[in-house]
Amino acid sequence: MTDEYIIDINHASKVFNNQKKEVTALSDVSLRIRKGEFISLLGPSGCGKTTLLRMIADLIKPSSGSVTVDGQTPREARLARKYGMVFQSPVLYEWRTIIRNVELPLEIIKLGREERRECAMKMLELVGLRDFADHYPSQLSGGMQQRVGIARALALNPQILLMDEPFSALDEFTREKLHEDLLSIWRRTNKTIVFVTHNISESVYLSDRVCVLSPHPGRLSAVVDVDLPRPRTAEMRSSPELASLVERVRGSFEGI
Amino acid sequence: MKNFIKRLTSKNGWVLFVWLAALAAVWEIGATVIGATVRNHPEYILPHLWQIAASVVQPVSDTQTIFGLVMVNAWATLSRALVGFLIGMAAGFVLALLMSLSRAVEKIAFPYLMLIQMIPILGMAPIVLSLTGDIGVSRIVIAAILTFYPVATNMLAGFRSVSREKHELMYSYAANTFVKYVKMMLPSALPYMFTGLKIAAPMAVTASILVDTLQGGVGLGCLLSQSLKHNTSIYAFWEIVFISAALGILSAKLIGLIESLTVGGRLSALSGRLIRSAGKEKRYEKQAEKTEA
Amino acid sequence: MKSRQKKPKLSERPMFETVTSVLYPLLFGAVIFVLWETELLHRMIGTTESILPTPSHIADIIANNPSKLFGNLMMTMLPTLIGLALGSLLGYGVAVLAAMFGRWGAGGLTIVSCFNAIPIVALAPVFNNLIKTVTSDITIRGLTAKVLVIIVMCMSSMSINAYRGLTQLQPFGEDLMATYGADRKTVFLMLRLPNSLPYIFTALKVSLPLSVISSLVSEYFIDTVEGSQSRPGLGRMIRSNILNAQYATAWAYITFACALGVALYIVLMLISKRVLKNRGK
Repeated sequence: MTDEYIIDINHASKVFNNQKKEVTALSDVSLRIRKGEFISLLGPSGCGKTTLLRMIADLIKPSSGSVTVDGQTPREARLARKYGMVFQSPVLYEWRTIIRNVELPLEIIKLGREERRECAMKMLELVGLRDFADHYPSQLSGGMQQRVGIARALALNPQILLMDEPFSALDEFTREKLHEDLLSIWRRTNKTIVFVTHNISESVYLSDRVCVLSPHPGRLSAVVDVDLPRPRTAEMRSSPELASLVERVRGSFEGI
Repeated sequence: MKNFIKRLTSKNGWVLFVWLAALAAVWEIGATVIGATVRNHPEYILPHLWQIAASVVQPVSDTQTIFGLVMVNAWATLSRALVGFLIGMAAGFVLALLMSLSRAVEKIAFPYLMLIQMIPILGMAPIVLSLTGDIGVSRIVIAAILTFYPVATNMLAGFRSVSREKHELMYSYAANTFVKYVKMMLPSALPYMFTGLKIAAPMAVTASILVDTLQGGVGLGCLLSQSLKHNTSIYAFWEIVFISAALGILSAKLIGLIESLTVGGRLSALSGRLIRSAGKEKRYEKQAEKTEA
Repeated sequence: MKSRQKKPKLSERPMFETVTSVLYPLLFGAVIFVLWETELLHRMIGTTESILPTPSHIADIIANNPSKLFGNLMMTMLPTLIGLALGSLLGYGVAVLAAMFGRWGAGGLTIVSCFNAIPIVALAPVFNNLIKTVTSDITIRGLTAKVLVIIVMCMSSMSINAYRGLTQLQPFGEDLMATYGADRKTVFLMLRLPNSLPYIFTALKVSLPLSVISSLVSEYFIDTVEGSQSRPGLGRMIRSNILNAQYATAWAYITFACALGVALYIVLMLISKRVLKNRGK
């Protein structure tokens, strides 16, 4: 991690106009995310954490304020293919094999067949699914499918990985396994990861910083630095340091 | 063929066979009752199945059997239905594509698409005939309209079924519209299109036959009218009933086959593989049981 | 801190969506109407006013013989509704039987589903002949033949859909019933029957337009055998007027046939909305 900032959110607000009613999804959020940082956006539903992520991803525009990504607007950054997205559901194309799912973004940038295959294989290797390259999504378990989603997000070698509650549909055991996998991928690739979740201990265990968002209206109520040593190990999950951090995070929610 | 026999000898096939036999028995009982009570030409109401079967080889002229006559007319009807079917398919595909590409087109076309579903198109066949002035063209037009509707609505449903996340994924890759359609929208909508085609195929066949009856000439419907007006053997009518039923069912099955060979292949081939491996496991288990015993 | 919000663009306002989704199709319809009325449409598709009469011409004819037209309308509508009701009831009964008998029921339904592919309307004259042995009244015979055709058609689509509704229950629905020790009758009344309700409407939405079509088309067929009927329906009037080159009159009947189809469908939609109101999607 460096002290260089890659994402700069400056007084960003989002107001939705739904049938004559104005709903403030996000109110005046300012946040700077460092290059190579693992940062979590944590909060209950309705707190605007996904809205914030979608603002960075150029899926919605802020009503006021600005978002800057690597010196560019989110749109420019998207067109420069600096983002890899991972959704709550794996969003795989059921008519493509695993390897061809990972190849999809490479096809879009018109990479040659050989290079595509080689690169996609590397990505599958990274998530430990090399042996399943020729399977179809429906033959894989939920956890494996989500790993394919991560491999696909990494395929274009983006600077930023945007993850929207990626593990929330998985069982506890699979989720913990994927935590280890994700951390090891992060260590090896030096990506900046913005990780949306509603699971407090998950956010603490994974992140360098936890951004606590509170609802009605959605706002950033605290940013908690996680000073647990890296690499994180499974033993840390039950450590008193982690427990006290979880308590601190829990205490910083407002008005729920 | 092998498959067919396999299916017939499987338990479900056996059930189907018993049902068919029961149906035939009911038909025969009905025919016997009608034969005993109706003195004047009972075959106009319900002939025996064997009478219909025997009529297949009966000659109507020196050179033709009734069945031959039916087949010649069936070809005339089917070829027209096929042309209309293909045109309707293409038109439905293009409209659904335009509707998914442009909000304005969608808004204009959607209420009219709903309206087509409600109005009795087939009842308008005579007016189509007088507008086009040609029975062959009318057959094509009617078959095309009837195919068009289910294809367009099902394709549209297919385009709409693509989840928001899939759209966002493409968006995050900054994929252009062409790539988006080739890689995502069309593959997603194709199974839906086949659903539409499976509905449309028997309808196109039926419609063609009905349009035939409006005017003399060749075609299953013409022959059917002739047969009912006693201009030719009544068994031509009964053969047509069976042939058209077979054509309707076969046309839908044919579409299903094409589907499984193309888009469905990836899914059914997959499930086939799964089922097969599951079967293998069972066999291994059985072997294991045997060896233990 | 809050900066004043920009006014959204016209095309992004929610009102715009609602207004245009009504306005666009209306405009399109109006253009077609004007083209038709001014006979520009005729030039475009190469036909004449006598074959494709203008809307005002058709309206004239409807305005001059409303009672006659409505009389013919009833002769088509009556068998449509009776056939639809009887056929759907019968189809539901078949579905219940099929659902009770597992594998054998499903096999029977496979056969019934094949009925969909048969041009059943072609059987109208056969039904007509059959009834000849019972009554000599041509009108009743024609009506009954139509009703029989529609019964067979509706039965097929209703039984297949209702069977789905009776058997494709939400997961654990049956298990829940079993934990209460419910017998088969209770499971049927409290679980299967309500579950099949939306499927009934799915079937009706398919079979209603089919019934109207069958009713119209059966009339062509019965006509080929019967010659004339004392009170013909819309289908026969469309056909005989075209044969006599009375195109404007034929179009008046077509208008009525379309109006019948649309009106019945809208009524069905309203009923289904009402009945399925609280079910959500």
